[in-house]
Amino acid sequence: MKTLKKRIVSLLLTLITALVFIFVLFPPFMLFLTSIKTNVDALRYPPVWLFKPVASNYREIFQLIPFGSYLINSLVVALLSTFISLLVGSLAAYGLARFKFKRSKDLSFWILSIRMTPPIAAAIPIFLIMRTLRLLDTKAALILAYCTFNVPFAVWLLRSFFQEIPREIEESAMVDGCSPFGAFFRIALPLIAPGLAATGIFTFIFSWNEFLFALILTGTRAQTVPVSLTGFIRETGIMWSHMAAAGVLAMFPMVIFTALVQRNLVKGLTMGAIK
Amino acid sequence: MVYSLGISFCEWNLIKGGNWKFVGLQNYAYFLFKDPYFRISLKVTLVFVSAVVSIELILGLGIALLMNRPLQRVGFYRTTLVIPSTMTPVVVGIIWRLLYNPELGTLNYFLQLFGLPPLNWLGEPSLALPSVIVADIWEWTPFMALILLAGLQSLPRDPFEAALVDGASGWQVFRHITLPLLQPTIIVVLLLRLMDAFKTFDLIFVLTKGGPGMSTEVLSYYAYRYGFKFFHIGQASSLSYILVVILVAIAQIFVKYIRTGEE
Repeated sequence: MKTLKKRIVSLLLTLITALVFIFVLFPPFMLFLTSIKTNVDALRYPPVWLFKPVASNYREIFQLIPFGSYLINSLVVALLSTFISLLVGSLAAYGLARFKFKRSKDLSFWILSIRMTPPIAAAIPIFLIMRTLRLLDTKAALILAYCTFNVPFAVWLLRSFFQEIPREIEESAMVDGCSPFGAFFRIALPLIAPGLAATGIFTFIFSWNEFLFALILTGTRAQTVPVSLTGFIRETGIMWSHMAAAGVLAMFPMVIFTALVQRNLVKGLTMGAIK
Repeated sequence: MVYSLGISFCEWNLIKGGNWKFVGLQNYAYFLFKDPYFRISLKVTLVFVSAVVSIELILGLGIALLMNRPLQRVGFYRTTLVIPSTMTPVVVGIIWRLLYNPELGTLNYFLQLFGLPPLNWLGEPSLALPSVIVADIWEWTPFMALILLAGLQSLPRDPFEAALVDGASGWQVFRHITLPLLQPTIIVVLLLRLMDAFKTFDLIFVLTKGGPGMSTEVLSYYAYRYGFKFFHIGQASSLSYILVVILVAIAQIFVKYIRTGEE
């Protein structure tokens, strides 16, 4: 009797779990489905479930609009701002984690709070600064803009990784004649390599997904993927199947990266507040 | 940031060119006391934020409890769950626009399958905000669940075993043991989500552009329109500073909270 009740409960729980996952996965699945329909099939109502899949949308977005160059823009901007954030971030984080100086604690919390300002508030001054520097519609503008939120993030997260490695390892290296910089590059940095990779992936994801700065700082030349996606929404109507194909291409790398960092996911998403 | 604080006290229209004119607190006064649209936008923002954060917390907690069992392939579940949150927000907007579309959307198709009338999800002023809220819930609930799950799994086991020995019911265990122990995690996700919800922009931009009317015009979108559609940089700056003040207040609580945790 009791085992039967238990089995029903467990079955019910499994069922609810399955429902949750269907709810999570259904919308992206629809996007994918639309991306392999022809425009005619995509506009048919009621929606057709059986159709001849085509890859033409994926080909056409590279021909109709310069989607390839938008992809390259996104890639270059995300990679470079990740690189700068890791370089600056790891140095600053190491300093904060290892050396005690006046108000070092306040400084690290100030860095954390930069990450929390709404982008729209930062967007206006950044726009005006880039206008003065004549950097509007360049990749450099975007890279700099993304560093304003990626560097604080990297500092904060890497700091917690540095704090986890015992200080004695570097101290013994320095006793053996290693300079402080040597201790940093040869000992500390390799030790937090996994943390460095996770942080890098996070900053890459942030930069790749960013929309507001990309919208206001770029025109046609430095446009990134998220902005180009909204370009499919036109006065004459929405090019559904092409937009869906571009959307799938935009989200695909993110899914892979998420799978790569999943062990450090919670830590990264909560800024290390929860491990 | 200081630069924009300066501008926020001035009147400066980029289209007219010209120079800054110092107008003191006039911009702030205008938004806080005169502008009827600011009130609407503030109200929309508050409704949006409180709705998404509370629903996401409850659903997220439910999902976390559901998954807090010995499961195989945890990595797979974790990755699947977090896809909506790490996916490009613009793509999230596109997906939901596709589902909500009155002429070819899947949602209306399902409604009709059950014999219900089709709805104009994003076009109806009273429906647009709830629709955007649902999309946001889809995007962020899994994130909530994931973090709460991590919190659940780090709880000590002893109190639960002791309660079981004492014959406590499932609800009693949840109410008197799980919830109090999980409280720090709950506060952290709550504050994080609160701050992010106030910043929501991408989703609104793709789904509704603040419309129909002003029914989905959250503050960050309102500030964007002021600054980059009308080029009233001064007003937009003061508007965004009002937003910053709200966020700094929340961030202060957050920082204080993890600070006490660190020491």
